[in-house]
Amino acid sequence: MAQILVVDDSSTVRDAVAEFLRKNNLDVVVAVDGKDGLSKLKNDSGIKLIVSDVNMPNMDGLTMVEKIRGELGNTSVNVIMLTTESSPSLKERGKAAGIKGWIVKPFKGDVVLESIKKLLV
Amino acid sequence: MAENLVSKVLVLDDSLEHAHAIKEFCDNNNLIALKVRKNRLMFVLQSNIDLGAILYSENYGGSIKENTEIALKIHAFRPELPIIVRRDKEVTLDSLPDIIRPAFCAAYIADDMSTLRKVIDEYIFSLVYPNALVRGISEITEAVLSSQFKQLTIAWDTPYIVRDRVVFGEVLSLIPMESNWCRGYMMLQTEEEPILEVLGLYNEQDHDTNFRAVNSLLGEITNQIWGAFKNRYIGDTSPSSNAQIQVPLVVSHKHKYISFGTENPHLCFLYKLVDGSTGRTVTLYQRFIFNLNWSPENFKELGHAAEGFVDSGELEFFK
Repeated sequence: MAQILVVDDSSTVRDAVAEFLRKNNLDVVVAVDGKDGLSKLKNDSGIKLIVSDVNMPNMDGLTMVEKIRGELGNTSVNVIMLTTESSPSLKERGKAAGIKGWIVKPFKGDVVLESIKKLLV
Repeated sequence: MAENLVSKVLVLDDSLEHAHAIKEFCDNNNLIALKVRKNRLMFVLQSNIDLGAILYSENYGGSIKENTEIALKIHAFRPELPIIVRRDKEVTLDSLPDIIRPAFCAAYIADDMSTLRKVIDEYIFSLVYPNALVRGISEITEAVLSSQFKQLTIAWDTPYIVRDRVVFGEVLSLIPMESNWCRGYMMLQTEEEPILEVLGLYNEQDHDTNFRAVNSLLGEITNQIWGAFKNRYIGDTSPSSNAQIQVPLVVSHKHKYISFGTENPHLCFLYKLVDGSTGRTVTLYQRFIFNLNWSPENFKELGHAAEGFVDSGELEFFK
């Protein structure tokens, strides 16, 4: 089954998002920051979608996506940012790195579930 | 000054003759006057964390000796609180004994309250807070709290100004706030047990296991408030050119005291999150301390409605 990688330094958000997705029969892997997310993706070829925070310690979410595209050469995994940020310049940076979408927190799972499922197909 | 800001002042003045004038002054100047019995004074000072100043009388306490002792004790215990002394005849501190003079920041007489007004403006309402900012902070915070505590009712007091530096509760979060019009911190303070109860994680036998859940939740609330604040008031503008300048924060665990290296008063909001089914209440203090830069003349609310703004929680697809 296609997996979703949830990357967030806040265990409150990480747990809530992961729990919601699991309740909706989706397979979830979690990571605590961008560095951890990069590592999880390297070691797990089943990950098809990443839902990631932007502001995180060690490595931020946008840097993680840029490394996924650049260092890992992975252009197929879909990425959605889930963040408190809505700055146009950050969104532009995300677009340039090929992210698929942007959600401003708080996470309202039921609003975006269908879209997430589509990105897994 | 924002029209709806208030500040709490402790009135240590037994004069029946001037009581009405002082109360009227407080009512007309956004001050909430608190009275206390002498034998409970230190207890109130210990437990009250959100005072703006103390209105003292040079006759309080009954004798000169007792008056001096009380003033010195308050000043030693809470030096961050300005003590303004009402004198019978003089509007200066000059003729007071050397020993007591340093305890007071200023003097006034009841016949001329304009002096007191100037002192209050100088020590309490010294920073101008735009109405749109004060109102917006409440709205942002209420929205974030509602999203995190869906089952609770959220109420908040009128925002107020404090000079106290005493920390409330057992856990606090701090996040730096950087923009071209403000530099400082937002601080959230709360108690652990009520949040654990609300989360269903409270264990009477084990007080230590679940505290990280409170930390994480408070951190996320802080993060979301700051994010919404940035989106509404800061946008893509760069921080001020002196963004490298910092001052140390000092926390005394023993005395539950935090210093931001400035005498500036704090902008404070108090929220009560009530569980209607159980009556349990979570108290959350939110303070804004603009200790590094405060330039409200550059403040502006961003017009997000203009282009492509997507509501929080919804997915904005990129092509």
